[in-house]
Amino acid sequence: MSRRGWLSVLLMAAAYFLAVQGYYGAVGERPNSFLVYGLERGHYGVALAFALAVVLVGLALRRWLEDEDGLRVALWTAGVLELGAYTWGLWLELASRVQPHPAFGSVFIPSGWRYVLAGYVVAVLVLFVYSWVVIKVGNRLTERRRPVRPLFGQALTHLFMWTLVVLVYYPVLQVVSASFDPRNNLFSFRKVESSWLLVRAKVLPSFSNVSWANYAKLVDGVVIYPWQWAVLALALGLLLAALLLALLARRGGDEALKVWHGRALFGFAAALFVLVVFLSPDQFTGVGTESKFLLWVRNTLLVSGSSGLLAIALTATAGYAFARFDFPGRYPTLLTFIFIQMFPGFLALVAIYYLLSWLDLLNTFTGLLLAYSGGIISFGSWVYKGYVESLGRSLEEAAYIDGATRWQAFTRIVLPLSAPMFVFIFLLQFVGTYSEFIMANLVLTGVDKWTVGLGLYSFTTGQFSTKWGLFAAASVLGSLPILLIFYGFQQYFVSGYTAGAVKE
Amino acid sequence: MVVAFMLGAATFWALESAAIAAGRPDGVPNWWILVTSAAFLLPILVFLGRTFPFLTDWYYLLPAIVFLLVFTVYPIVLTVYLAFTNYSGMRNGFPDRSTETPVVAVDGPRITLGANPLTSLGCGETCVGQQLELVGDGHRARFSVVDVSGRALTLDRAPGFTPEYAYRINAYHFIGFKNFVFIFQNASKALWPVFVWNVVFAAFTVLSTALLGLLLGVLLNNKELKLRNLYRTLLIISWALPGVISIQMWVALLNKQFGAINRLLGLLGIYPIPWLLDPLWAKVSVLMVNLWLGFPYMMTATLGALSTIPDELYEAAKVDGASGLDAFQFITLPLLKTAFVPILLASFAYNFNNFNIIYLLTGGGPAIEGQLSTAQATDILISWAYKTAFRAEGQSAYGLGAAISLVIFVLTVGISLVNFRVSGALREEGRR
Repeated sequence: MSRRGWLSVLLMAAAYFLAVQGYYGAVGERPNSFLVYGLERGHYGVALAFALAVVLVGLALRRWLEDEDGLRVALWTAGVLELGAYTWGLWLELASRVQPHPAFGSVFIPSGWRYVLAGYVVAVLVLFVYSWVVIKVGNRLTERRRPVRPLFGQALTHLFMWTLVVLVYYPVLQVVSASFDPRNNLFSFRKVESSWLLVRAKVLPSFSNVSWANYAKLVDGVVIYPWQWAVLALALGLLLAALLLALLARRGGDEALKVWHGRALFGFAAALFVLVVFLSPDQFTGVGTESKFLLWVRNTLLVSGSSGLLAIALTATAGYAFARFDFPGRYPTLLTFIFIQMFPGFLALVAIYYLLSWLDLLNTFTGLLLAYSGGIISFGSWVYKGYVESLGRSLEEAAYIDGATRWQAFTRIVLPLSAPMFVFIFLLQFVGTYSEFIMANLVLTGVDKWTVGLGLYSFTTGQFSTKWGLFAAASVLGSLPILLIFYGFQQYFVSGYTAGAVKE
Repeated sequence: MVVAFMLGAATFWALESAAIAAGRPDGVPNWWILVTSAAFLLPILVFLGRTFPFLTDWYYLLPAIVFLLVFTVYPIVLTVYLAFTNYSGMRNGFPDRSTETPVVAVDGPRITLGANPLTSLGCGETCVGQQLELVGDGHRARFSVVDVSGRALTLDRAPGFTPEYAYRINAYHFIGFKNFVFIFQNASKALWPVFVWNVVFAAFTVLSTALLGLLLGVLLNNKELKLRNLYRTLLIISWALPGVISIQMWVALLNKQFGAINRLLGLLGIYPIPWLLDPLWAKVSVLMVNLWLGFPYMMTATLGALSTIPDELYEAAKVDGASGLDAFQFITLPLLKTAFVPILLASFAYNFNNFNIIYLLTGGGPAIEGQLSTAQATDILISWAYKTAFRAEGQSAYGLGAAISLVIFVLTVGISLVNFRVSGALREEGRR
């Protein structure tokens, strides 16, 4: 932009600042934007006058500026200024709603942020000196001429990353530490004695009384039969074996290792399946609702697992037909599928509730399963169609020459090759339904039928609102399955997800 | 398929009557209709496939189509229908058990009740036109009242059994556009504020997560940065945790007096913030928590998109004397844009109806004076519809909830159409 352009922007900003100060000072309100605030509060005259002024200034600038469109400059400048003023007004408003006295029983350090800021400034200086010295000494020794900036930039990136990691993990740390502290009640004034400031402020957990009591309450009164222990041991053993085999395979093992790895994983899934299906509500004899936690986990696994399997069953043939066949009506059907997908399932909540209540399927897993089934079909078929198209036709054509029927070509050739995609669809539906709340909340009403999410919701609402430690323990245990799946299949899950999103 | 369904339904009714006759007044569970229909569908399909071989192509699509029809399309059609009715908790189409009235005499279609029908059945102004359920002798059936004279009622047909009790059905009716008129008449108390906040919420979420994700993606894409895989793995945690759990975790952390967030802020010299108690701060909390939940996905998407940009482009730019900033501005950003636009739009559509975060974090609250009790400070359209239909403060107004759902549907389809137009997802390359 030309000098005149910048000058006019600067002048406009100054004029805007004076106008804001003058106007809002005169009416005795906090500074704010003219347009948004004016429209919000019904001061239409002010908003109109401001818009008019901007247009007039823009037209005047049009004559004065040579290279740029003056109107555009004026509009952009006004927009940015308005946004700034609105944010500033919002900030003042937010700040005014904070009561100026520290929370009772908390550790409060006046202007503590200055120390933190000073700490960061020192850290940045230290990092700069460190990079400077390292690079200069290195240059002297190797007689090269490397600049300081890349190393310093990396050091700053590390500082930023660790700050972010700490911020992101702070809530997780709080919950995990609360789960090990049976006396940890959210609404407690109990002081922690420690020479550490952070521990005293309860920002960092105090490890003075670590206990499993919260977890013990979650499994209180659970009767597990000996054969279930045996199956559990088998499942864990197989999981361990699978992990070991995966490690060995990464070190450069042969194909046989991979096959056994797959078998071990499959065995683990089968053992888990037996456990989940044969665990019955009668085995939960504990008194409180929290003693049913494992039952809720089992319910969730049952619903999510069968939902994932159903998703594969429903989408596999459809996706294959969309990819390979060429019958009239194929493309319109595909479009219809995608159009139906736009109606989010839970918008039809009322109707699904009505349908399920008519079918006498309320408070059953079957009902929930059927309600979930509609959601994945379109997306699953679409993704699988893309996958089959990427496989190439040559194998199937060879099979046709050998006299295979189309169904045989599908089941013998395409299905085995599709395992990765099926795992992705399964995981997508599994993770999605594990986190689902609204439909489950509507359909499952009995404590014995609850999923993990519903059970946790009962801890945080109503009469259980003080069971913070229990809630924390249940959160940790309830998150584990998804966490394991996510990190176990990370590479593959992430790539499928982002690829799917791009295609969506 | 229609034939199979009709046959299945007929069998179902036969079973139902048989079960009732066998002394089970509730009959068989209604879901049996699905089983019996399927039992008829399969042989019909085999027969049709033999007769018209070209139909077998469609068999591959059949499971998907059947499930879509029954559990997605039918509910949608039902939603549209319910949106024009006053279906609610009070008018649910079921017999009202509090209106139990003994039947003392039966003569063809004329029955005589043991009490005054107006008060006992609670008909309101007149019982003519009301629906009744008569029960007795192990039978149950519905009739409508044609005429009333004193305690004697004339029904539309004669009951084929000896009724012992009569119940009034809480019938719901077609009420035309009244639900929509209600929505738009009360627009300033619910629709407009909720809609504006819904758009702000979705847009700000997308922008903030995309900016943070983009920044992290670009930083972590630097091949010389040590520990970059560790950072990526660590930062992905909020995506890996099940949302239904982590959102509830935040409720406790954001508590004003005791929450961990305010404890941390207290150390920085910041007074306790009323995170979930003040309407404006509650909005800030929702946006903040959604940023925490959403940025790992954007970071991963950025890394995925960046990995597809060939290194040669940057080398060529370097040879041409471009600085790092130039390369970012003229290579990275334009190439990212093509990959990012569909992701951003999909994310917008997802967050537009992101019920979980609103309902689990704030429950839509805190309350704002002058708005409907179902549409509070942080309510978005979908949570407004849910609370109207299923919560006590909405008085279980299913019909009105369905009407709100339709309004949301129109908006969602609009967003999705823009998405498809921009991303070109529906174009099939190499076909036709």
